[in-house]
Amino acid sequence: MSSNDPLELIDQYLDRVRVYLPLDSEDAIVELQTHLIEEAERIGEGKMTAGSAMMAIERMGDPKSVANEYAGSGKKVGPVPAEYTGPLSRMLVVIAGVALALIVGAIMIGASLTQLFGANIQNWPFSIPVMIVINLTILFVIIGGISMLDRNRPLTEKTTLESFFGIGVEGFKPKSRVDAAFDFGGGLFWGFVLLLPAVVNLYSEAFMQYYPVVAIFLFLGALRGALFYIGGENNFNLAVEAVLSVVWIGLAVILIGVGWPIQYVYGNTNGIWYRFDLLQFFQTNNIPFVPFPYIWTFIMFITVAFSVWRIIVSSMKITMYVRAGKGLWWQGNWGKRRRLKTPLWKRVLGDQRSYQGGTTYHDGYREDDESQ
Amino acid sequence: MSMSKKTQEELDRWSKEVKRGAVTLAILALLSKRRAYGYEAVKILDEKMSFLALEQGTVYPLLRRLEKRELLKSEWDYDDPTKPKKYYAVTEEGLMALGAMEQTWSVLSREMRGVITEVE
Repeated sequence: MSSNDPLELIDQYLDRVRVYLPLDSEDAIVELQTHLIEEAERIGEGKMTAGSAMMAIERMGDPKSVANEYAGSGKKVGPVPAEYTGPLSRMLVVIAGVALALIVGAIMIGASLTQLFGANIQNWPFSIPVMIVINLTILFVIIGGISMLDRNRPLTEKTTLESFFGIGVEGFKPKSRVDAAFDFGGGLFWGFVLLLPAVVNLYSEAFMQYYPVVAIFLFLGALRGALFYIGGENNFNLAVEAVLSVVWIGLAVILIGVGWPIQYVYGNTNGIWYRFDLLQFFQTNNIPFVPFPYIWTFIMFITVAFSVWRIIVSSMKITMYVRAGKGLWWQGNWGKRRRLKTPLWKRVLGDQRSYQGGTTYHDGYREDDESQ
Repeated sequence: MSMSKKTQEELDRWSKEVKRGAVTLAILALLSKRRAYGYEAVKILDEKMSFLALEQGTVYPLLRRLEKRELLKSEWDYDDPTKPKKYYAVTEEGLMALGAMEQTWSVLSREMRGVITEVE
């Protein structure tokens, strides 16, 4: 649904362009954003309206072509048109990465591959590629059909195909500054909580040996958050993230064996505090289902899956940045989606500014000829 | 005298080739005088060089390529957070390249003028 807010229209249009651009193109997006705002203001003679924003967008043209002008088209791979190879390969990496993260997470908690995919698979493992090919064919037929219906959409609305490819873009967005701040604050807070004598008192005997290690890990997580908050996404911070994820997977192997860490909770009777043994409660009351091992397994599964995903994304991004000639540390971007809307505080304070509601490039250049 | 379709086609083809070489020189020359951000550069070039008929689709990618080749350097200006501006300026390397290009351009235009005058 198209909005009447000019800034939102520009934002929606740039989201479409972003789908066709390589991962490290946030600078290009911001440049285009400024261009569109200034052009819309010029058209509106100083005022930006939905109409002037739409005119600026229409002048800029089809998102696929704009992305192509900026980055050059990719190479045609088999039947896949050149402009779709980038977003499609990114999408496939996301699917493979998520699958790998879930499989590793499941194996870590003791589930076997046959349990995951079902024990009755015929012709294992040859049936797997056959199933993938059949499913992808069905997917392409469905997407192709839907795309036919997308032809008359306005420039600011994503096509169905772009929405699909957009998932790939989301998966690789840098950490936002707010997330980094939460990583820092959360790591510090939980690290200290874990070390509080009153909390230590509640641990199981097995976990008692490991809680200092977990607390150190949380502090390291806080340090990672601080690094991302200060430096944004750069190779150093990505390497720290990857290393911490590897460390966590190693630690998780031990912690899964340790089991649910909290054996006691505090109770209060007649103003007197005492430790209430949770496990004993289940045993003495003959409750057959004890949920804690399952909760613990689930937590471990999720954290390991996320760690695997972080390792994949960090390694890919480091490779990408090294290829682009970047070093170890630079002032990187944060993943916060650049909201074009006027912030609430500005609206409250009445700061209206100028916003009022109301690889063959197309110029004939070839990247190969020009680049070093 | 109106142009035939064939002549127009030839002119278009030739213009495209001439523009291809001229646009790098034009951008380097502009940015050697003053730094500018993308939209500003597009508008100035559009105003000053009607023959080149430069659009954003030509200027932005070229700015990026020249930056990649270290002829230009850039710096972000976040003074207006809703419109961050990436300012481009010519590097030392770019100035040297510009000097060499200007010399070549002068020689080329002088010799071309000579050849064209002789033909006339």
